[in-house]
Amino acid sequence: MSAIGSVRLRDIVKTHGPVVALESLNLDIEPGEFFALLGPSGSGKTTTLRIVAGLEQADRGTVAIDGRDVTRLQPGDRDVAMVFQSYALYPHMTVAQNIGFTLRMVGTPRAQIERAVREAAARVKIDHLLDRRPGQLSGGQQQRVALARAIVREPRLFLLDEPLSNLDAKLRVETRVELKKLQRALDVTTIYVTHDQEEAMTIADRMAIFIEGRLMQVGTPEAVFERPDSVAVASFLGNPPMNLVPGELDGRTLVVDGHHITLPHDHAGGARPVTVGIRPGDVRIDGEGLPASVYLTELLGETTIVNLRFGEQLIKARLLEKRHLREGDEVRISFNLPNVHLFDSASGERIALA
Amino acid sequence: MSRHASRAVILVTASCLVMFVWAFPVLWTLLTSLKPGVDVLAYPPVVIFEPRWRNYWDVLFGPTSILPHLWDSLAVSVLATTITLALAVPAAYGFARLRFWGRRALGFYTLATQMLPRIGLVIPYFLFLNRIGWIDTYRGLVLVYLTFSLPFAIWLMVSYFEDIPREMEEAAFLDRAGRFRTFWYVILPQVRGGIAVTVIFVFLNAWNEFLFAVLLGGKRVQTVTVHMFNYVGIEQTQWAMLSAAGIIAMIPVIVIGLAGQKHIVKGLTIGAVKGGGRR
Repeated sequence: MSAIGSVRLRDIVKTHGPVVALESLNLDIEPGEFFALLGPSGSGKTTTLRIVAGLEQADRGTVAIDGRDVTRLQPGDRDVAMVFQSYALYPHMTVAQNIGFTLRMVGTPRAQIERAVREAAARVKIDHLLDRRPGQLSGGQQQRVALARAIVREPRLFLLDEPLSNLDAKLRVETRVELKKLQRALDVTTIYVTHDQEEAMTIADRMAIFIEGRLMQVGTPEAVFERPDSVAVASFLGNPPMNLVPGELDGRTLVVDGHHITLPHDHAGGARPVTVGIRPGDVRIDGEGLPASVYLTELLGETTIVNLRFGEQLIKARLLEKRHLREGDEVRISFNLPNVHLFDSASGERIALA
Repeated sequence: MSRHASRAVILVTASCLVMFVWAFPVLWTLLTSLKPGVDVLAYPPVVIFEPRWRNYWDVLFGPTSILPHLWDSLAVSVLATTITLALAVPAAYGFARLRFWGRRALGFYTLATQMLPRIGLVIPYFLFLNRIGWIDTYRGLVLVYLTFSLPFAIWLMVSYFEDIPREMEEAAFLDRAGRFRTFWYVILPQVRGGIAVTVIFVFLNAWNEFLFAVLLGGKRVQTVTVHMFNYVGIEQTQWAMLSAAGIIAMIPVIVIGLAGQKHIVKGLTIGAVKGGGRR
């Protein structure tokens, strides 16, 4: 693991006019990490990246890279490289000039620039395109030029702002694997902004979930997915999203829609209203359990999503096996109880076990 | 005949007609410039004659040579263009990037300078230049031309700068270029087209200008357009000489027009489709 490339954000506040883009953000990113900032649009993830880059100034708070306070430094003095969503390639320069521009700006000797450009281009497999101009390249090739431009200078940090969003679906999946490999090979701390949870889950070592300008949760994709801290994170992650139904919790007893369910664990605190979160994959349709009726089935190829009317609620179940269910069929459902998430109705926060 | 072919025939015929209407005075001037004096006013017009280059010789090297006046025109036009560019390009960049109150005022002011009857401004300009002693000087004329060309050039260049995405600058900042080198290496090359259009418009405007040139200059500084007026006399007008001078004065206009053709069309249509055709 790399020894350089740590980022520390402390009490960052940023407003855009009346809109609070970030409220009191604290975040630590470790050297060598592939760190994803995930959230819906307008959640503050791109603002965070831009503040790290120095393209925007925080209203309050400090940014430190490798222990050095860079809050007031110009973007060019922070030793970070960025890939923009639009790539922002210089249209009047060749691919080689695009990649080498940053080295030229610091007076690197010509021969050395040439060598570095060639190496960087070879890493992302565009060394046959060096004499072209960006306008003559496909979207995928442009994306690689933008990557090469970032890696050529061996920066402390890579900042990637939705770098795959302009590629078509197939290329996006291929490129994200390559991106991960590239990051491993170069061993450079990478901050990756995306609104695509699948992308973040597959690519990141750790991720941060942003919702409406607030950092909701930080952790490995697995941990965040399996133990969301709040209703907001729980409902944001997962496709289809987690079912959320109101219930009543008292110790080990959960009452949902008038049905009593005994939980495997005890919970602290007295009786109270809760939000019960169940991932579609944890809903089973079998002979016994709670009554529900089939509302609609969506066949997704390998899996089937069954929309069920459960009391007043509509909930989704994901079935791995083929089942012939027709609309209006009466069925019985049960939940995989160890995986049921309980959130306090008032605060939306996860309820701890006793 | 297919619909396509007939359409083409109609289009070509129409274009030829329009071209002829436009080109007729030019061609007539060209013919006149080559005629001996007696043929100029002959009726019916003499179309077939032996071209007489003598008129050009007289205009260029005769007792009232056009050459010093070509120089005056060139000096005033080049100075006006250079100063306009030097001020308008950075100003337009500022207007395009920084949102401030002057944005909308600029558009209005530009339109106003193009719409106002210029004759109405002659007296104030005269009084002003007279007060500072700049009447009949290069700097006086250039200053007056700048009052028209600057707002126009800024307004024109703003749309070119606005077409460049902000991320282009941000990428350059991160590439350690700094503000000035970002402008020089990344932004400026991308508005070359706009600069070409600005140069053409400003230069031609100054080159062709007559009203201010005759009233605010005229003796020490006598541009080509003013000089040509000398061939129009009280007793007689030397049509052939006037035509020859006219053709000579047209040459730079035509050369610049041809050279900048591509850019001019783009300049006229810029903003018609937002972001169209660029990037």
